[in-house]
Amino acid sequence: MSRTRILLVDDEESLRITLAANLELEGYEVVEAGSGEEALRLAETEAFDLVLSDIRMPGMNGVDLFRALKARRPMVPCILMSAFSLEELVASALSEGVFTLLSKPFDIQAALAVLTKAARGPVVLVVDDTPADAETTASLFKAVGLKATAVFSGPEALQAIIEGDVDVCVVDLVMPGMSGAEFIEECRKQRPEVAVIVVSGYSVPELLRATETQVFTSFQKPVPPDQLIRAVAQARAPAKS
Amino acid sequence: MTGAAVSQLDEVEARSRELLAEQQGAVWRRTDRMFAGLMLAQWVVGIGVAWLISPLTWAGKTSAVHIHVQAAIFLGGAITSVPVLLAFARPGWIVTRHVIAGAEMLLAALLIHLTGGRIETHFLIFGALAFMAMYRDWTVFVPATLVVGVDHLLRQIYWPESVFGIVAPEWWRWLEHAFYVVFEDAFLIASCVISTREMMALSRRQAELEDSQFRAQEKSAELDLALEALKHSQEDLVRNEKLAAVGKLAASVGHELRNPLAAIQSAHAYIAKKVGDGGQAASDPRVGQFFGVVQRELNACSRIISDLLDFAREKKPDLRPCPLRALAEEAISIVPARAGVSVTNEVPSSLPVPAIDKNQFRQVLVNLIQNAVEAVPDDRAGRVTVSATGGDGVPWRIAVTDNGMGIPEENLRNIFQPLFTTKTKGTGLGLAVVAGMVERHGGRIGVESKEGEGTEFFIELPTPASSLASGLENAAGATRTAGRG
Repeated sequence: MSRTRILLVDDEESLRITLAANLELEGYEVVEAGSGEEALRLAETEAFDLVLSDIRMPGMNGVDLFRALKARRPMVPCILMSAFSLEELVASALSEGVFTLLSKPFDIQAALAVLTKAARGPVVLVVDDTPADAETTASLFKAVGLKATAVFSGPEALQAIIEGDVDVCVVDLVMPGMSGAEFIEECRKQRPEVAVIVVSGYSVPELLRATETQVFTSFQKPVPPDQLIRAVAQARAPAKS
Repeated sequence: MTGAAVSQLDEVEARSRELLAEQQGAVWRRTDRMFAGLMLAQWVVGIGVAWLISPLTWAGKTSAVHIHVQAAIFLGGAITSVPVLLAFARPGWIVTRHVIAGAEMLLAALLIHLTGGRIETHFLIFGALAFMAMYRDWTVFVPATLVVGVDHLLRQIYWPESVFGIVAPEWWRWLEHAFYVVFEDAFLIASCVISTREMMALSRRQAELEDSQFRAQEKSAELDLALEALKHSQEDLVRNEKLAAVGKLAASVGHELRNPLAAIQSAHAYIAKKVGDGGQAASDPRVGQFFGVVQRELNACSRIISDLLDFAREKKPDLRPCPLRALAEEAISIVPARAGVSVTNEVPSSLPVPAIDKNQFRQVLVNLIQNAVEAVPDDRAGRVTVSATGGDGVPWRIAVTDNGMGIPEENLRNIFQPLFTTKTKGTGLGLAVVAGMVERHGGRIGVESKEGEGTEFFIELPTPASSLASGLENAAGATRTAGRG
């Protein structure tokens, strides 16, 4: 198996060379670019498994680079880095299929874990007892280049989590057979690293309260697609120490 | 008209009546006292007159004091005593002045009698009436006139020589006298009414004046309150603005620190791993390189913090003579060189020496030169020059000029504002710090720019009277340019 190739883009030389060294130490093959334009030129001729780019750069910024790359190779995961976490630019990029955002400064080990996961291309599992809803939600993620699978019951979902490479789970709280709350508990027990995002058809405060501490965030249907996609990206970010 | 306005009018009316009463009371008391004195004098005069005219009477062989003298003393005393006592005990009382009016007429009647009914003595009545007008109260003429009329009538009937000086006056003689009295009354009453009306008008005017003064005071008190409230809300506003500015500043500086911190963290992670691997650190050239990265980024952090502190702490300039050419040379050497950009020191070495804060001005020049160097696009041979003129009474002008890409019109206005930046990195404090330092030197900083062609930042400093000697640095006055690649 060939080494994973990472395109690392940052105008800040200090971070770029040290981060590249760290990635190489982990066994990645790193190609550095000092600007968005340079990165795009490299991507024209070479194939990469993963893109890691700073957002604030003179000339083409990281979000524009991400969009340009997405248009060419929609399935290549892209991780953005920024010292400025509250920008609108960042928010919209996260809902367009960025794998996740690394807020500078970041812990290198945690960041490496996220990179490794991104390179693997993990799946977003959509659990909903209404097949049409499940399929629609899954297709939202696929449309922005994220891997997603739809399942229609709790036991089915548990099996998928144990067998497949799932890192985020979008769960409808009200399901037949196994309740959403039971599923979440079981899921946390089996695979604690999987982040759970809850959606519910109507207000179920007691269920929400029961699962509150175990889930990343919760939504009430209908969930705006961009918010759901952004929530997945945020759930994939390394936990803040 | 509103209820408040009505009550306000009532108040003014009531106050004007109060003022009138005060004034009238004063007039009445004063006049009471005057009459008391006058009547005592008349009593004494009456006794004197009686004594002069008929001091002693012979009745057979007995000589006695004439009845007239006794009358003058006792009757006059009786007539005088009551009003005088009242004048002192109850001055200003209506009864007092009415008693005075009646008694005064009785006293006049007594004097007329004592002078044997001389017609000239009747003038006392008219004089006394005129004095009574000083009361400015027409009612006093009622008892006075009644007393005169009744006295004349009765005496005409029973004792005509006592009043008219003749034994058989015409039957209507008392009426003629009474007529003249009434005639005078008419004018005096009119004058009293008029003067009362005038007093009333005066009182009203004063009441109105007091009212408007009171209202003005009230209004100014209200204004004071409003002003106070305004001041408070302004302070709140300023505080909020300050908090917002501090928040913005903190965010800007905080974010700016994140980039070097990220690099340091990354370098540290690599070095830590190499050290942990046991002995590998020494052989890996990257470890040394990354120590350099850490050093550089730590410097960047401290520069950001220094900028912030320079901005926050408005240090007073320590003015000392400082040759500009040498300072410019120093500043140029501090700014990291950039390939393709030359920085030239065109400050004449013969330039007089200004008194400036060397450390602050070096930073001013470093910031301006750094900006100028960064303003040159990659595809151009950059030229940055530092120049200066002035001294010997001419204001200083120090300029940093570049042939860079220029500054768009819309940015020129904000360029010295804190946190304004167009760079992808930078706190936006550099030029604000520079402007603050120049201003604390009593000077001003300006900028001229043409987009695409270049920019000139210039500093103007006033020349103090104690301009320092010129040409300290190089007596020959030769100029020399220093180029940097």
